[in-house]
Amino acid sequence: MKVNGVTIDDTFAEAFGMSGTGVIITADSARWARQAAVTMSGFGTSVIGCGAEVGIDRELKPEETPDGRPGVRVLLFGFSPEALAPQLKNRVGQCVLTSPGSACYAGVDAKRRIGLGQGPRYFGDGFQTAKILGKNRYWRIPVMDGEFVVEETSGVVTDAVGGGNVLILGNDRAGLLASAEAAVAAIGEVPDVITPFPGGIVRSGSKVGSKYKGMVASTNDAFCPTLRGRVKSELGPDTVAVLEIVIDGLSSKAVADAMKAALRSLIEVGPSKGVTRISAGNYGGKLGRHHYHLRELLP
Amino acid sequence: MSGLTFRLKAAPEERLDVSELTPRRLASLSQGEIERIVVGSTKRQARVGDVFTLGGRPGDSVRFENGSGHLDFVGSRLDEGTVFVDGDVGDYAGREMSGGRLDIRGDARAFLASGLRGGLVTVRGSAGSQVGAQRAGDKFGMAGGIVVIEGHAGDRIGDRMRRGTIIVRGRCGAIAGTRMLGGTIWTDQGFGPNPGLLMRRGTLIGPNVEKLLATFVDTGRHELVILRVLSRYLAATLGPLAPRPITGPVRKYAGDLATIGKGELLIPA
Repeated sequence: MKVNGVTIDDTFAEAFGMSGTGVIITADSARWARQAAVTMSGFGTSVIGCGAEVGIDRELKPEETPDGRPGVRVLLFGFSPEALAPQLKNRVGQCVLTSPGSACYAGVDAKRRIGLGQGPRYFGDGFQTAKILGKNRYWRIPVMDGEFVVEETSGVVTDAVGGGNVLILGNDRAGLLASAEAAVAAIGEVPDVITPFPGGIVRSGSKVGSKYKGMVASTNDAFCPTLRGRVKSELGPDTVAVLEIVIDGLSSKAVADAMKAALRSLIEVGPSKGVTRISAGNYGGKLGRHHYHLRELLP
Repeated sequence: MSGLTFRLKAAPEERLDVSELTPRRLASLSQGEIERIVVGSTKRQARVGDVFTLGGRPGDSVRFENGSGHLDFVGSRLDEGTVFVDGDVGDYAGREMSGGRLDIRGDARAFLASGLRGGLVTVRGSAGSQVGAQRAGDKFGMAGGIVVIEGHAGDRIGDRMRRGTIIVRGRCGAIAGTRMLGGTIWTDQGFGPNPGLLMRRGTLIGPNVEKLLATFVDTGRHELVILRVLSRYLAATLGPLAPRPITGPVRKYAGDLATIGKGELLIPA
């Protein structure tokens, strides 16, 4: 099937059930809120290697945050609430508490809770105090530029989705990257999702397993252009590069909406920049319970 | 909003305990049963029917159409619905309330919101001593909820208060927040002498203090994020009843250093 000159594979993205939580980081300026958010999101690309997939959902206006300062919402995804808890504690403790002027609040409203300030509060060495407002407890930890305010817990959902994806194939590597960037920007308009890889884009798509013992994943050789002819390649003769966008969301609908936004952008922008084909990664439908068929998500 | 109304037939000659007159406790009672509830505090054993004219039908509110400083325990143990009083109330109004709203359109006497755990108490007039305070035999004072007093408040407001927020549009009397363990007392016009006596934790906010305890230490001028959180929380919860937000610096006094000194007195700078 071709849309606006781009071939859309008759395939689907296969995604997995995950747990998701989030935080709202505020600071004196949007720049410093974003700085803390970016730092907290570091080394948060793949749950397998990083322990959690972490990224910025969106920037928040002052009127949207609990303290009326500029903010950023960061989402974290992991295998379970228990696996997310230490990730949240360590990332907030090392990357947000340390950032000048920051404060950190629950970013997901759910009945099930995991610790947010429960661990970092001990940094106060007995000088920390708490303030309960309504149902929320806020810790005030003395630090060298004043106080770090952090909410005690954040909500966690167990019906989140990780691994929604789009593969972008083309004959112009620079154009392909520009098209992927535009698609990531389009996804940025969709709430409750993140694209956890660098700039939202992956150039090292993986397959399950490896010839080497102990490697749980290895390069997706079928999509590597330099291996065309040596392996059972998925690539046509004109394809010079493939980029992937991986999407995690707090709900299946959010992931589907994000994939729709990406497809719309790629179909609009891509043809003039060398995008020739759009595909998606799956494992034959046997591993993940969420299947997103590209043709059902077309604009 | 449907509910029962109670009108005093005459100024009470004795103190009346009206703690049973809340929406939930009256919901399943007939008019006759309600009129037989004992509210008197003397051996006369005055009943509702003796002192009140009853109107309306059981619903989600109870209204006292005229008030009196002899009406004690108004809205006591209220957990849902609303109790209105078009006038004054006596002691212990809102005692051990856990939800709902108590709206007093006059003055309240001592121990308003004593043992409050949740809900909202509003007083159009002033309140007597020991608002939100510990009553003899209690472990703590107020442990949650919000109290808004549009007039002044008496001495010892928030004695052994543990959680919750008290807002006083007027002035607080002497030793506000004494023995306080947590929560917030916010006055628009200032504190009387020696606020925070033996306070352990908690926050006192006001524009001035008549006399500061020697056991409070000046920690300097600060911009506190928690005040922004508190201001926005109160604005969202109370709407027009909320105090004017503090977004600028405050002078922070820490105390009472005669105890653990984790309390604070904040004066907008």
